[in-house]
Amino acid sequence: MLMTRQEIFDKLKKLLVAADSGNLAITENCTEQSRLREDFGMNSVNILYMVIAIEEAFGIVFDDVGVNAFATVGEAIDYIERKLR
Amino acid sequence: MSKSNKASLLALKNLPHDFVRVTGSPVALWQRPRILYDGTGARRKIRGGALLIANHTGFFDPVYMMLAVPYRRQFFIVSEEVMDKPLGTLLRACRCIRIDRQNPNLATFREIIARLKSGEVISMFPEGHINRDAAGSFQSGMVLMAVRSGVPIVPMYIKPKQKPSDRLTVVLGERVSVTELYGDRPTFAQIDAATRLLYEREAKLAELLRD
Repeated sequence: MLMTRQEIFDKLKKLLVAADSGNLAITENCTEQSRLREDFGMNSVNILYMVIAIEEAFGIVFDDVGVNAFATVGEAIDYIERKLR
Repeated sequence: MSKSNKASLLALKNLPHDFVRVTGSPVALWQRPRILYDGTGARRKIRGGALLIANHTGFFDPVYMMLAVPYRRQFFIVSEEVMDKPLGTLLRACRCIRIDRQNPNLATFREIIARLKSGEVISMFPEGHINRDAAGSFQSGMVLMAVRSGVPIVPMYIKPKQKPSDRLTVVLGERVSVTELYGDRPTFAQIDAATRLLYEREAKLAELLRD
């Protein structure tokens, strides 16, 4: 059973909240358009951490991508969707 | 010594690195390394996987790290700036791992984790560049590497030399296990806290060597 885009978004948001619960930009204002670096204040290590958490939570394996491959939450969801298909 | 360690003693892949270690060992006569330890835990030999971190004040710091822990082969994490030059191919054969600081990729990260998990020592400079002044801020990548592989971080301070003939002085500090401090699922804030802790440890080691 494939996950819907909304389900992926919810699961991803849960991961981000678990990693940075004190960040209001994540807990309150997280949308697909949110930018990981500018809006959430994440650095490359945070994004790498997020990628690893995604791999574990969704049971997928990312290709060899750089952390700059994902600028927004939506782009990360696009990637997860492609991998789950 | 386990069987796998015995096998790796003669492994062909280690040849370039070992060649450098053997032919470069007379450097110790010139450097006359003075290795100090801060605490009894620091005095214990490094066994198994570990992440060795140091301040970075000059081009020869990796050599000093090799002299400070001569009983272990080390991998070095080297920036794209150095590795993308022709010298990079040679460095790669001598156990240098290329990292793109602006856009670190997953393959690099996976390689580092796999090496640490297999019991290798990886040395790196968490400032990310040569910094001749007092230690600048640390990047938090090392914490993530330690968390994912479960290895301790060994802080080391290399005393900057005033002139080339000065004796090499390094001090090794107590090991820091991030997984013991924060578990294997730290939050971003905990990763930053661990990075600050290591920075403080490094500053404490620097203080010990102040004249």
